[in-house]
Amino acid sequence: MAELEDASQPRLAAGCRWAGEGANRTLVYPEGALRLQETARAILERCDGQRSFAQIVQELVAAYNASDPEKIRQDASAFLERLRQKRLVDF
Amino acid sequence: MPETPLALIAEITHRCPLHCVYCSNPLQMASPSSELTTQDWERVFEQSAKLGTLHVHLTGGEPLAREDVTELVKSAHDHGLYTNLITSGIGLSEARLDALVKAGLDHIQLSFQDSREAPANWIAGTRAHALKLELAPLIRRSGVAFTVNMVVHRQNVDHLEEMIALAESLQPERLEIAHTQYYGWAWKNLEQLLPTREQVRESLEKISAAQKRLQGRIRIDAVVPDYYARYPKACMGGWGRRQLLIDPSGTVLPCHAARVIPGLGFENVRQSPLDWIWRESESFQKFRGESWMPEPCRSCDRRTEDFGGCRCQAFMIAGDAASTDPVCSLAPTRGLVEEKLSQINAAVISGKKTPQGPPLEQENLWVYRPQPK
Repeated sequence: MAELEDASQPRLAAGCRWAGEGANRTLVYPEGALRLQETARAILERCDGQRSFAQIVQELVAAYNASDPEKIRQDASAFLERLRQKRLVDF
Repeated sequence: MPETPLALIAEITHRCPLHCVYCSNPLQMASPSSELTTQDWERVFEQSAKLGTLHVHLTGGEPLAREDVTELVKSAHDHGLYTNLITSGIGLSEARLDALVKAGLDHIQLSFQDSREAPANWIAGTRAHALKLELAPLIRRSGVAFTVNMVVHRQNVDHLEEMIALAESLQPERLEIAHTQYYGWAWKNLEQLLPTREQVRESLEKISAAQKRLQGRIRIDAVVPDYYARYPKACMGGWGRRQLLIDPSGTVLPCHAARVIPGLGFENVRQSPLDWIWRESESFQKFRGESWMPEPCRSCDRRTEDFGGCRCQAFMIAGDAASTDPVCSLAPTRGLVEEKLSQINAAVISGKKTPQGPPLEQENLWVYRPQPK
């Protein structure tokens, strides 16, 4: 299975999509739903199959004015890998 | 205030070309002439979405037996609901599948009765297996999210690995391996379906090995048989807490089997608004929360996890819907379940009830569910 790399373009897996608006925005998928914390949502909302992982990390660093980009990269990478295991994200 | 019902199970018809011996439909099925109209269902989806429902599971019977299923998918989708079609596949064509996907279908769950054709058709009481194998690639190519559902019991669980291999070859995102739950027709056929302790133990090992092997490729969700468990399942995520079911005639139920509970009346969407039924009606309040609970549930730490288990099972096995689920090892009535398990395990081990596959001669082994009249 491919590792998540800078050039990877993560996207929601088939059958996963957003429902609801604003703070109620929920990820819905076969037989389940996930209401995410703000930071998790910020990562996942950028997984549109267009942006590269490097670009997503860059945007997060800017959005959260983060001092430690490497930490953001590691957290986002671990989070997306977990969601891939659940078949919610592909890359 | 009750919580939001996250999922609506829409049993849009009890008609079905299959006659599965484990069917969860009630023994008294809704007649075709009593079925809700397209407009009725559209109103239900609107009301349900307003209540906060996220998922709608279109099921039956066979939901494709309704000619308006594409309209129903479109309506549910337009109201923002996540649409899941739970189907045997019978009645699906490439054109109909295209129309369903265009209407906004999010997910299809296709069921199999076995990996082998003869036993599969035997369980379903219909020659359906070969057709399902033809449909699976069409579903895969359509791009819709795809779950393969394998229903297991004593008659097929010994070739579970072969069933998993079949599912793998169909390339779904998700595989559900569901040990039969004993309600409806499955309850009627329990003697022939309940697996042995050894079969259950082996099946759980095989499932766990497959989960590891297929991790990241196919998500495997397993439904385990609660008769052999220490604690009951959190049936429906708690009574009137997470899910509701509407039967073909519009009756609103907290679960598939609730009609078996005597003295409990249910409301109908033809007469009452769904939010009132969910929030206020007697049937939904009856076992909601903890005030109905007897001991040992009332003071049990697990009461917020399993909600006392299943009310229908408590009635069916122990004769009292307000008692602790008898499958719980702490239930005073656990002995009734043990008795059933000992009888069946002893009979199977002594060879009286060996899993045997389709009989050569017609035998009166079990009861097939008929068509609703």
